[in-house]
Amino acid sequence: MAKLPLEGLRIIDISNVFSLPYATGLLADLGAEIIKIEGPGRLDVTRQGAFSGVHPDNQPGPDPWNRTSTYNLLNRGKKSLAVDLSRPEGREVLKDLIRRSDVLMENFSPRVMRSWGLDYPNQIKLKPDLIMVSCSGYGQSGPYSLYPAQATTQEATHGLAHVTGYRGDIPSKAGQSFVDFLATWACFMGTALALRYRHRFKKGLWIDVAMYPLGCYMVSDFILDWEANHRRSERIGNRHPWRAPQGCYRCAGDDQWCAVSVFDDEEWAALCRAIGEPELALTPRFASNGDRMAHHDEIDGIIARWTGRRPKFEVMERLQSAGVRAGAVLDARDLNVDPHLRARGFLENLEFPPERNIGKRGIIGRPWRLTKTPLAVRGPGPTLGQHNREVLQDILGYSDAQYADLERAGIVGTAPTNAKKVAHMDMDERVRQGRLAYWDPDFKQRLGI
Amino acid sequence: MMIGPSALDDVRVLDVSQGIAGPLCAKFLGDYGADVIKIEPPGGECGRRMPPFFQDDPDPEKSLFFLLTNLNKRGVSLNLERPEGAEIFRKLARNVDVIVETFPPGYLASRGLDHASLERENPGLVMTSITPFGQTGPYSSYKGGEIVSYATGGLMSISGLTDREPLKHGGFPGQYEAGLNGALATLVALLIRDMTGAGQHVDVSIQEVLASTLVILQPFYSWTGGVQGRREPEGKLFGNIMPCKDGYFVCQARATAPWDDMASFFGREELKEERFADAEQRGANGREMDEIILDATKERTMAEMFRTASEQFRMLFGIVQTPADLAACPQLDAVGFYQEVDHPVIGKIKVPFRLWNMSAGPARYTRPAPLLGQHNVEVYTEFLKISADEVRRLREGGIV
Repeated sequence: MAKLPLEGLRIIDISNVFSLPYATGLLADLGAEIIKIEGPGRLDVTRQGAFSGVHPDNQPGPDPWNRTSTYNLLNRGKKSLAVDLSRPEGREVLKDLIRRSDVLMENFSPRVMRSWGLDYPNQIKLKPDLIMVSCSGYGQSGPYSLYPAQATTQEATHGLAHVTGYRGDIPSKAGQSFVDFLATWACFMGTALALRYRHRFKKGLWIDVAMYPLGCYMVSDFILDWEANHRRSERIGNRHPWRAPQGCYRCAGDDQWCAVSVFDDEEWAALCRAIGEPELALTPRFASNGDRMAHHDEIDGIIARWTGRRPKFEVMERLQSAGVRAGAVLDARDLNVDPHLRARGFLENLEFPPERNIGKRGIIGRPWRLTKTPLAVRGPGPTLGQHNREVLQDILGYSDAQYADLERAGIVGTAPTNAKKVAHMDMDERVRQGRLAYWDPDFKQRLGI
Repeated sequence: MMIGPSALDDVRVLDVSQGIAGPLCAKFLGDYGADVIKIEPPGGECGRRMPPFFQDDPDPEKSLFFLLTNLNKRGVSLNLERPEGAEIFRKLARNVDVIVETFPPGYLASRGLDHASLERENPGLVMTSITPFGQTGPYSSYKGGEIVSYATGGLMSISGLTDREPLKHGGFPGQYEAGLNGALATLVALLIRDMTGAGQHVDVSIQEVLASTLVILQPFYSWTGGVQGRREPEGKLFGNIMPCKDGYFVCQARATAPWDDMASFFGREELKEERFADAEQRGANGREMDEIILDATKERTMAEMFRTASEQFRMLFGIVQTPADLAACPQLDAVGFYQEVDHPVIGKIKVPFRLWNMSAGPARYTRPAPLLGQHNVEVYTEFLKISADEVRRLREGGIV
């Protein structure tokens, strides 16, 4: 098998939640050795609680913290070292590891690494060409640097909520931690830049990624419109700011929808023909884009009458075949079985070892393909502390006695000291409470797993 | 200050893309030192016709979207529809490391300009294609757009309310995010080329970029068959967006701040009562809690609450900032987010620019977005080794 692009590269990953764990998970796909550090008393929050997703077949099992869906997606292909960095002996282990690593990535609050004397200037005393990636809410400096941050509150502060919402309505949540993933891509890209910089100039560097400026960048066009024209933007729902018609239209079935967007007169004529009303294209009050903007409600009614009688995939296929931009709203089931995404291999199966009793599960791969470098997820997320001995003894050369001392003192471990009780709720109850739209008891047959 | 080297200052990029995602991808490469040549059709790329415009004047040199996404590039015009234009493109492609393109899949192959054809004369060539559905698969010929990507990427299925239609995010965040992914995937291909000498074709799907953010929703199904939906219109407001005196705020209860401290922040002793003591009770008594909090905040401003909650109470607290707020944000100034740009037609303007900071080789600004065909003579004489007269002849022939 061909060598993977980052084979031989060792990355220390002291990350938590979504943004940075995902970035290092993607770097694992490229062949890097990722050593994920958690504390026996400080588990990644995706192992348990609200951010963790769900247990396989809704069964927590004896070690629920190793079995959650989101944890295993984000932390695929990594090694796990569970060491207590809040104690000096734990930080000595970290220092030893820094001496033997290429990259350190962390998403603590900006004061933590400093308070441990492990800011970048101190780390390069241990490893002169080390690359460090820090990922925080607001950045390592500036007046908001130490403000607590999480996507749910930041999506308001970085401006996305202001422009998101039904037309004329209050601002809306964006949901599912959108800004976290901007930080994921930024940490990934920053690391790749730093690796090329180190390759060419034999020097490391420190990258300071923050969610806030990344989120603000997503609304740059609105900021520029304010700067240049003092325009106060409005919430316009699903409409296009300068083209019409555009919307999300109800299709046949329960909660089934298809988005439609018309860019120009030609596409408008194509839409009119596709829905069997070619004369609309000749109707003067819909003739130009401006006319269509002015009569948007009326056009919405016409389109919805046609889509409402057809399944969403039929709507998408018929409109796209006619040259009209259309996209069915895919839900979780659709994404997992969609023939297009399947043909492209977007989802990949994680094969869990038999003793973990999880079987085979599909997860998100990567949103891009390299024609000559086939990539694949390299395995599930590690169990807590699964590689303690390998890291401390094989990589760092600690003796059996040293290892036993650390274990006895509770500096390293494989069992969490803060395991949360799993609040079990059966799938039907989740649906009754509105936490799920629905569930498919036969999902395994549908997925072929 | 001495400016050191950049990670990509040995890389040449041809940007033949249009719109938002492709031009942004090439711009990001330029920010880190790449020499980016933007190629536009003789009438200009579609980004020049995208609002907002400077002073609302729809002049092709005044699109602020175009300005944002084309900083740090030189610009030439070229008619790829003409055989002479395609031949010039082929010659340019011999001398570059990366091509960024956003044509419908198959278009470049129809002109003999796809990666497989071009790499015969330049084996190290990386070509990055950013399209709505990618280069392969049954939807690859489908047309896209921001709302189409938001729908097929799955985000809309969980955005908005259960009793209304799925809701896309405002603006064009999917296009921006695809631009960022295009740049990082290009970098991966360059790292591989550094080791092997071989370039390759990079296929970025905007649908997949958005779907890749659904790390809770997607495996929820493969783990249990569960499908998450949109939010119920009824229920407690707390934790969602709530109004205050001059706008909106959002607050999360979390371990960073004990609940009693939060009650103190809102200045209402009754929030410390037993009926609000834990998350479960706050859920059950959500409406009463909402009433108390709405009353407590109706005379308070966003700015004051954001500062007090974040600094004194260490709470997870957000305010719905407007673009005007962001234009005046002290944190964005402190991290160097904005770049002052001096554009020959627009004049001086502050443009969002720096996405993150680096202790060496940071994003650097070198030039404003090019005017249409601004660097025709400079680039064609440099790359094709032809004289300015010959460039003039090409212009008269409608090639450039």
